Amino acid sequence: MNTNLKISNVTKIYPGCVANDNVSLEFNSGKIYALLGENGAGKSTLVKILSGVIIPDEGKIYLNENNLKLNSPLDAKKNDIGMVFQHFNLFETLSVFENLIIDSDEKREGLREKIDTIMKKYNFSIDLDIPVLNLSAGQKQKVEIIRSLIRNPKVLIMDEPTSVLTEQETSELFLSLKQFSEEGILIIYITHKLKEVMQLCDEVAVMRRGKLVSVSEIKNENIESLANKMVGQNLKTIKKTKEKTSSEQLIKITNLNFISDDPFETNLSDINFSVNRGECLGIAGISGNGQSELFQVLSGEIISDKNSIEFNKNYIGDLNPQERREYLMAFSPEDRLEQAAIPQMAIFENVALNNFKSSNFFNNGLINESKIKEHSKKIISDFNVNTDNIDLKSQFLSGGNLQKLIIGRELITSPDLLICFNPTWGLDVGAINYIHETLIKINEQNKSIILISTDTDELLKLSDKISVIHKGKLSKIMNAEEVTSEKLGILMGGGN
Amino acid sequence: MIIDINFIGLIIASIMASAVPLILASCGELITERSGVLNLGVEGMMIIGAISGFALMTVTGSLIIAIFGAMLAGVLISTIFAFLTQTLITNHVATGLALTIFGIGISAMIGKNFVGIPGKEFPVLFEGLKNTIPLLGPILFGHSIVFYFAFALPFITSYFLKKTKIGLIVRAVGDSPESASNQGINVRLVRYACILYGGAMSGLAGAYLSMIYTPQWIENMTGGRGWIALALVVFSTWNPIKILIGAMIFGGLTIIQFHMQAIGVRIPVQFLTALPYIVTIIVLVVISRDSRKIRLSTPSSLGKSFHKDN
Repeated sequence: MNTNLKISNVTKIYPGCVANDNVSLEFNSGKIYALLGENGAGKSTLVKILSGVIIPDEGKIYLNENNLKLNSPLDAKKNDIGMVFQHFNLFETLSVFENLIIDSDEKREGLREKIDTIMKKYNFSIDLDIPVLNLSAGQKQKVEIIRSLIRNPKVLIMDEPTSVLTEQETSELFLSLKQFSEEGILIIYITHKLKEVMQLCDEVAVMRRGKLVSVSEIKNENIESLANKMVGQNLKTIKKTKEKTSSEQLIKITNLNFISDDPFETNLSDINFSVNRGECLGIAGISGNGQSELFQVLSGEIISDKNSIEFNKNYIGDLNPQERREYLMAFSPEDRLEQAAIPQMAIFENVALNNFKSSNFFNNGLINESKIKEHSKKIISDFNVNTDNIDLKSQFLSGGNLQKLIIGRELITSPDLLICFNPTWGLDVGAINYIHETLIKINEQNKSIILISTDTDELLKLSDKISVIHKGKLSKIMNAEEVTSEKLGILMGGGN
Repeated sequence: MIIDINFIGLIIASIMASAVPLILASCGELITERSGVLNLGVEGMMIIGAISGFALMTVTGSLIIAIFGAMLAGVLISTIFAFLTQTLITNHVATGLALTIFGIGISAMIGKNFVGIPGKEFPVLFEGLKNTIPLLGPILFGHSIVFYFAFALPFITSYFLKKTKIGLIVRAVGDSPESASNQGINVRLVRYACILYGGAMSGLAGAYLSMIYTPQWIENMTGGRGWIALALVVFSTWNPIKILIGAMIFGGLTIIQFHMQAIGVRIPVQFLTALPYIVTIIVLVVISRDSRKIRLSTPSSLGKSFHKDN
């Protein structure tokens, strides 16, 4: 049976922002639709309206000509609209099966049978009786998909599904989605990744600032045309010009080990690498393979053996982050709001936070507010942070602006080495471009970067050398030109 | 000295009796906390239960009205807490502390008229079987219905959480209220229900103290048992069976140190009185050291307000 989903004149207004401005769209089963837009373009709002999380101010939703009243997520479920959110709606401490049975009306045995059938059909393999927190991101997503499939949905909405997946997991997901589509499920795929739209979808709707700007068939589009529609201006493509890097070694890691007391952390074993001046070392890997532990060991959040880290001819393995900063290291952690910045503090206060000694921000224990504010303004203009209010609490900055602010702050001491962990995680094209440009500039100034990232495209674009981390072990270090994303994918999965 | 074997049975029975209010209040609070709500008002709800039970018993003469009235009083006072923390989104810790202070104050006020009034005898079950089996007889038989209920409660609670759908929903809400809400679960309703249930159990625990354990009204008669109940929940890592163990150790040491004081053991009284608190916590910490299990049973959203944004 054909499914027809119609969004008619939907408007949702938040104070100070029109999230959806009179959006009308029509979808038919048998095709995979992309809903494309930058962060803040309004696609998440539209999706939340379709899944009943948000109620629109105006407008109607029709499924097969029936006007749907979506006042809660339950209504969406009842009307056969399935939804896989970017942030999983799973209960980490419950088992996979408990997660699935909680919103099901079926008996235990019946449900188990049904789940087994679904898993067989789509080639999923997940242990139903282990807690969800033991699953990888890709497996968690499969649990979410199974949860939707149990209800035989007519519509399946995927919200930024690949942001946490590896290359392989992504292609597996695409295969499944195509299979669903052939079976008559209407797929709406929300993303800001253009490559995926080109690979997977049949039709694409582009949103910008709450408005629908275009609906077109994929065969009439290419990456550039979509990017320009999405951003609303012509984007320049950035590329790293390959220069001869110096052979002067900046940092050397020797036989670094870390054994964690926490069973949910990964142990690091026998890490060895070195980075020369002006070089960018990329570290690829599926998230949860020790990246976060490696970052913490490198930044000094976890202290290790003094001799295991040699930086600028000093042994600094036993120093804390503050002391390491004095040796001109800088850090940009993964979690912008939890680790890098304090959400409730103003922008200028956050700028002051990581520079206690090497700046003139403090005099005799007192805060020199004018100095800090002056410097904050400089960061905001130099790094293109889109606000002019340095008293703004940092939680109100968008991810992209916050990341620019953090990198700007870290570069204040003009460090010799910047260690970044997923610096463009969850950012939109414009912001990613800007961060990439900045990182390339740092290399051009003969400063070094260690880039720990789960985004292989990013790594291939920015790195001079690449290594892969798998289960807490580093692969051998390869020259970036010799590496392909396929090869990285195999290494990331533990292959050779 | 010849020790009568039935005397040992009686001591064990008295230990169990002293554990009853702790088990009741802890198991109630455990459900509340498993849904992600930290209610520090256990002591206050218990004392309200104690005065309500005693007052109703004195006024109406009906034990049934008194017991259920005490539970209802616990429900009512916990409704205040639920309204504040769930509807008005106030801070759990501050609200819970206020509830305890409020409970102690208001119980003292109501209780003025009931000081010195003798309690009533509470009927016990299987009295006749008490002397049929040596040692086990006094342990198993001749107790109030509340006593038997308390010792069944940890097992019922464990079964409820692990095996029933509603138990699963309670755990889910405590794990991630956001996800639960997106699954169509009414988080606020679940949390209200869990808070009210916790209130009922604390009320019952209080009534046990004033109507059965020491049948009279004494101001501040809960004497910190509510706080111990709270500690038991945390140190048992939200495991009802470990609550039972903890409550027995605490009850046991409390009784034994009384006897030691009575015999005149040359250990400072202050140390003896502190002993149950210290040992209970040490034992529970030792038996709950598996960090994997702690992670799995700790409600991740404990004490955090959930505000559904729209």
